[in-house]
Amino acid sequence: MRAGEAGRALLLLAVLAGLLLPWLTVAPNRLLPGTATNGFSGLGWAAAAALAALALAVPRRVPAWLGAAAGLGGVALLLVATGWAAADSLEGLASAARAGLGGGFWLGLVAGAALVVARGAALPGPGRAALAAVALAALWLPWQAGSFESLSLVVEYRARQAAVHAALLRHLMLAGAALALALLLAVPLAWAGFRRPGAAGPVGATLGAVQVVPAIALFAALIPLLAGLLALLPALRGLGLGAIGPAPAVLATAGYLALPLWRSVLGGLAAADPAAVAAARAMGMTEGGITREVRLPLALPVFAGGLRVAVVQAIGLVTLGGLVGAGGLGALVFEGLSQFATDLMLLGALPIMALALAADALIRLLEHRLGASA
Amino acid sequence: MIAFENVSVSFDATEALSCVNLQVAEGVLCALVGPSGSGKSTLMKLVNRLVEPSAGRVLVRGADVAGQDPARLRRSIGYVMQSTGLFPHRTVAANIGTVPRLLGWDSSRIATRVADLLELVQLDPDLAQRLPGALSGGQAQRVGLARALAADPDILLMDEPFGAVDPITRRDLRAELRRIHAGTGKTILLVTHDPEEALELASQVVVLRDGAVVADGAPAALVAEDAPEFARTLLGGGQPGLRRLSLLPAEVARDACPAPADAPALPEGATLADALSRMAETGRDVLALGKGSLRLEAVLARGR
Repeated sequence: MRAGEAGRALLLLAVLAGLLLPWLTVAPNRLLPGTATNGFSGLGWAAAAALAALALAVPRRVPAWLGAAAGLGGVALLLVATGWAAADSLEGLASAARAGLGGGFWLGLVAGAALVVARGAALPGPGRAALAAVALAALWLPWQAGSFESLSLVVEYRARQAAVHAALLRHLMLAGAALALALLLAVPLAWAGFRRPGAAGPVGATLGAVQVVPAIALFAALIPLLAGLLALLPALRGLGLGAIGPAPAVLATAGYLALPLWRSVLGGLAAADPAAVAAARAMGMTEGGITREVRLPLALPVFAGGLRVAVVQAIGLVTLGGLVGAGGLGALVFEGLSQFATDLMLLGALPIMALALAADALIRLLEHRLGASA
Repeated sequence: MIAFENVSVSFDATEALSCVNLQVAEGVLCALVGPSGSGKSTLMKLVNRLVEPSAGRVLVRGADVAGQDPARLRRSIGYVMQSTGLFPHRTVAANIGTVPRLLGWDSSRIATRVADLLELVQLDPDLAQRLPGALSGGQAQRVGLARALAADPDILLMDEPFGAVDPITRRDLRAELRRIHAGTGKTILLVTHDPEEALELASQVVVLRDGAVVADGAPAALVAEDAPEFARTLLGGGQPGLRRLSLLPAEVARDACPAPADAPALPEGATLADALSRMAETGRDVLALGKGSLRLEAVLARGR
């Protein structure tokens, strides 16, 4: 599909989402199902204006910066108008009433955002950075102005603000700890496998076997395993290790991260041009010098690829920690699931997605830099 | 300068070199030729301890290399290889400055040296800040040569340095090497599988076969009638007599008595092969060479 066709398809998707799917649902409280307001009808003139702005982003004749800016304006207008519509729809209702976001809103938002990203991708580096900054401002300013305060998701957030912030921090700590543990395991193993290729086979098979175990089963299996270990060595409890809580979550996640990290370190070390290594040795570099000055710099781009996979996996897998008492954003998701409270699930799930996307984009940038210099 | 005394090398069960004795004097450009697997690269790598002998001694500058620190020994000997082995993540200047940096030179001295070397190998100074990926094959090989010369080593090892470049570039690089060798008087060990290259560049040619030296001498001597058959076949290219004439200057067969007035003249610096060609062209059996003359019988006498 050509770029222009993709843009038209996205615009069509946004229009259909707005016309046919529920945009806002008004319910008596946070748990009961509500009555759907269909499509753009609640948004009034803003819907037409937003669509017009999005349409401006489609034609290839419009310069990329203008197309991206128009699309961004359209998306921002959709967001703000939805906030206003939510406030209007709650007028005169009991304070427990909620105005939730419907499927049409989410589909329209994703289609609009994809349109902006597609146009923005054609911009040079500084242009993309500026676009990202404007996008953040377009979210933050109406947020500060209180435009979104009537949306059920935001009401839910306000009610649990401290818990959400704590869960986000905990999520990052769990993912960071799992990543650090996996690095501690994978880097020495990869180095050993590089020095003695015979050792690489069994290590790869073992780490690969972990990947075969379903994540949820591994998280669960670690609880009795850790309980058994703690019964044998009660002293470990003094170190803060418990059969439930962060320990099984971090251990299980690290087990999954070890394979991509190990593989990328090993692959990176082996990727160094054999002629460059031979030349370094022939010129009188020591083995340590060869590793430091030739092998590692040439391994970095490959390693960054593995690191990206591992970081994104860590952010996703740690979510399951919510099931074994480790806390984090996963705990919010599972609490929401058990209560059938969609907004609470989203409160956990949206930051997880945002974190994963942001981490992916950041490390991709790093990879690109390293790739360019090597 | 370099001496191999009864050197043997074994890799696992196979013997790569057996009981090699060889002397390379200071300032000599010595070519090691032979078919692949003959042990020529292995012989060269003994000099900077990239390969260790299983028996015998290798002497460099009069000292057994076995007693020397490999890293320090290697820094004192230049090394050029076919695949260049340039560091892809370092600029041309950083690549050239590798050994001086290892030796602890200060950065301004390295920068001056890099500029001088780029000039010596006739590369544009603007290339200094490029990465090797942006260079042509010939430029990369010149950078490789500059890198080997960076710390001004008195010995240069070259492992099929011109094997991977096109014929025209190879000819330029050979001329470059001849010029640099003449200008610096370094002792050079050149591994090549190209007999023509060996004969053209070297003052000493060593022919190897199955891990043993089968011939060792001046280029012209190795294509003479009394040279070992294998060397004569390998180096002669099917016409050892012509090859030998092409290696000898016309002066060696000159007769002092002047040539007939209508005899075709031979330019200065011509070889006996050029003389024979001129005679074939003109149908004459005598040529004018400077104030003297050159007769067909004298040329033919030298071909044996």
